[in-house]
Amino acid sequence: MSQVLAFLVFLYLFIQTPYLTPTNSFSGLFFRLDPLAALTAMLAARMAIPFLFLSLVTLILTLVFGRVWCGWICPLGTILEWTSPHPQKKKNVRRSDPGKGWRKIKYLLLGAMVILALFGNQTLIFLDPNTILTRSLAGVVFPALRFGILSSEKFFYQFKFLSPVLDAIHAAVVEPLFHTSQSVFIAVVPIFLFLLLLIALNWSAERFWCRYLCPLGGMLGGLSRFALLRREVTQPCSECVLCSSHCPTATIDPQTGFHSDPAECIVCTECLQKCSRGRIGFRWHLTHWQAAKRQTYDPSRREVLTTIAASVGAVALAGIETIVHRTPERLILPPGALLTDFESLCIRCAECVRVCPTQGLQPAFLEAGWQNLMTPHLVPRLGYCVYNCTACIQSCPTGAIPSLTVEEKHAVSIGLASIDRDRCLPWAYNTECAVCEEMCPVPDKAIVFDTGGNSRENSNLLKPRVVKEKCLGCGVCEFHCPVGGEAAIRVYSIPDNKPPLTGI
Amino acid sequence: MKTQRLLSRRDFLRWLGVVGSGFALDACGKANLSAPRLTKFTQTSLPPAAQDTPFSNAAPSGIPYLVISHGESPAEITCRAIKALGGMERFVKNGNEVIIKPNICTDYHPYEYAATTNPEVVAELVEECLAAGARRVRVMDSPFGGTAQSAYRKSGIAEAVEKAGGQMEVMVGAKFAKSPIPQGVDIHEWWVYQDVLAADVLINVPIAKHHDSAGLTLGCKNLMGTVQLRDRLHANLHQRIADITSLIRPDLTVVDAYRILTRHGPTGGNLEDVKLTKTVIASADIVAADAYACTLFGKSADDIGYIRNAAGMGIGTKDLTAIKIEELTA
Repeated sequence: MSQVLAFLVFLYLFIQTPYLTPTNSFSGLFFRLDPLAALTAMLAARMAIPFLFLSLVTLILTLVFGRVWCGWICPLGTILEWTSPHPQKKKNVRRSDPGKGWRKIKYLLLGAMVILALFGNQTLIFLDPNTILTRSLAGVVFPALRFGILSSEKFFYQFKFLSPVLDAIHAAVVEPLFHTSQSVFIAVVPIFLFLLLLIALNWSAERFWCRYLCPLGGMLGGLSRFALLRREVTQPCSECVLCSSHCPTATIDPQTGFHSDPAECIVCTECLQKCSRGRIGFRWHLTHWQAAKRQTYDPSRREVLTTIAASVGAVALAGIETIVHRTPERLILPPGALLTDFESLCIRCAECVRVCPTQGLQPAFLEAGWQNLMTPHLVPRLGYCVYNCTACIQSCPTGAIPSLTVEEKHAVSIGLASIDRDRCLPWAYNTECAVCEEMCPVPDKAIVFDTGGNSRENSNLLKPRVVKEKCLGCGVCEFHCPVGGEAAIRVYSIPDNKPPLTGI
Repeated sequence: MKTQRLLSRRDFLRWLGVVGSGFALDACGKANLSAPRLTKFTQTSLPPAAQDTPFSNAAPSGIPYLVISHGESPAEITCRAIKALGGMERFVKNGNEVIIKPNICTDYHPYEYAATTNPEVVAELVEECLAAGARRVRVMDSPFGGTAQSAYRKSGIAEAVEKAGGQMEVMVGAKFAKSPIPQGVDIHEWWVYQDVLAADVLINVPIAKHHDSAGLTLGCKNLMGTVQLRDRLHANLHQRIADITSLIRPDLTVVDAYRILTRHGPTGGNLEDVKLTKTVIASADIVAADAYACTLFGKSADDIGYIRNAAGMGIGTKDLTAIKIEELTA
């Protein structure tokens, strides 16, 4: 329960500040405090990102107090703690803990991510706990909640006498929290299943993710071996095993005199409260400081070398996934983002997805290739890029979406619309329609009309045509196109930008 | 001896809960997906049904049917136009619930670009409604570009309305409901904002501007902002606008033609396309107001399909020679 405060801060930032509204704020605070994202992003992009240096605060905190991030701050950790079944309360929980040996996975994963980042690849950053939680909340939990609430509103509005009450609730609660727009996410099932998996693993071992897998936990755990504040047990100890049975990371070992590994201890102080004799304390190691002992589960030299080799191999494998495959013609990146820089800089945190007012920005599943899992892209049929909006630009913590002003954004095309003349109402069916032209936000209109053309029946009919030089690729035309299913006007990536086969 | 049961009470309840919530979720999905199907895909407007109903828009004797007001200040010419029509008391009674529907189509440009209604005109109407005893005056539209909040802000209407004592309302998806259109020719039901139908007084405040498929966007076209699934109206736009108008029927239409957009509508973005005409047109008859507004663009009511159709359905008159028009100049 020690993490409630930090979790509330996270939730407040998530909801209150810029949820679906384009305003700059502290919303990216947790990403700026995240040393793992900072390290891999700066390594992969080979540049210093000033905002991310705030993560030094976390590093210093860890060097002084140990893994306090994991026990007191990490919002995903909070959720995992809350959803963890407590064996003390539920007798019928049968655990199948894979054992201490798995603890090394988090270090190896961290190592792999750093090696990949050295080669400009940030694919695995989607495993960072901050990104997992923001992505899951923005892409699954909140949209689902909103869907449920708006649906029930619709149901209750049928009863006219409830209207005044519903109006009041809507204005006071629903609108500020959820807004009225609905969001639809293509990758909702994989994102949801991943979160569900992390929660389900709690039934194998409490805080399974934090204990065995979390790469940020690995990073902070490694540093905690040098922390100044450490847990100590003074003798005589009654060996009541209250502390070891309550330790969420099971690092208190009855075999070794109830001592714990600073790299695994998340400083939750649960043991302190449980100890019947008050023999446990957290004490400063200043005069007699030395790094914590190596543990049997710490990665061996052989394992480290294997990980390095495997990571290098993975980079090579990733390199032969062609850029063409990673940039299908329908992949529209957020404004101003260039593919190769974007791949290295984007930390897959889904902040942009969260703030996009039309919810057209979607975390990719495999649309952009394996390497770009969970990177954002615009799906205009689900939501267009608003002409004057720079919400994603302002929210991006790394600058993967370059910082453009509204005027600069108006000069950047993110794609090019193309009319499918076999389905377009005026072209194919001789039916009056000019929705795309009306919607076009470009002052001089990037869609103009031709008359005549291939139709003989009604030569005065207005037939839309895209002016390549003016089109911004915002997709508002595709979004509003009245043709059912796929629109008859669709945005494709800019034809001038055919990428090379590989990144070399 | 304890007997082994197949299913304990607790497990049964748990199972029931899971299955039940699954069904509930399923129902939510269905409720949400029940969008209207395209009705018959008609190419041009059907011959409108002859309507013999007399105009309900008739002005009390001595009061002009339509007022055109010219002058320097948008608020002042609006004020004079309403006064000439018999004052706001003619439309708004004590304790009435009033909705004002301006045109706030996008959040792209401020009102000087003539894509959104002049905030001074809207604010003046809000003040007059409140002075006439309105219980509450709400102002709303559903923009197609950007969010409602940002469009309200960008247009300057939010600030002006709040200063005048009115409320901006972001339209709530749940309040759109399928409503029958008894007089409809092409569509017989559509998803309409229920508050607009329930309000005691609806004041329609379009801006007169260019629009490619509709010809011009005026009073009738502005009512499209009160319905859902607007994109689908385009299949037979001119008849469907008239059908929507036959249902919604604003009590008063004030066409803001202080600035008009002559090209690149309805979104605009070039000041060169904006013409200062410094005019406000007001009438209880939405068709007559639209018919007069056409003349500002050098067109006649017969050039615009939805005005022809609406007049044919008996919603109002497009014959400007048959009605009493008063023109006010400063």
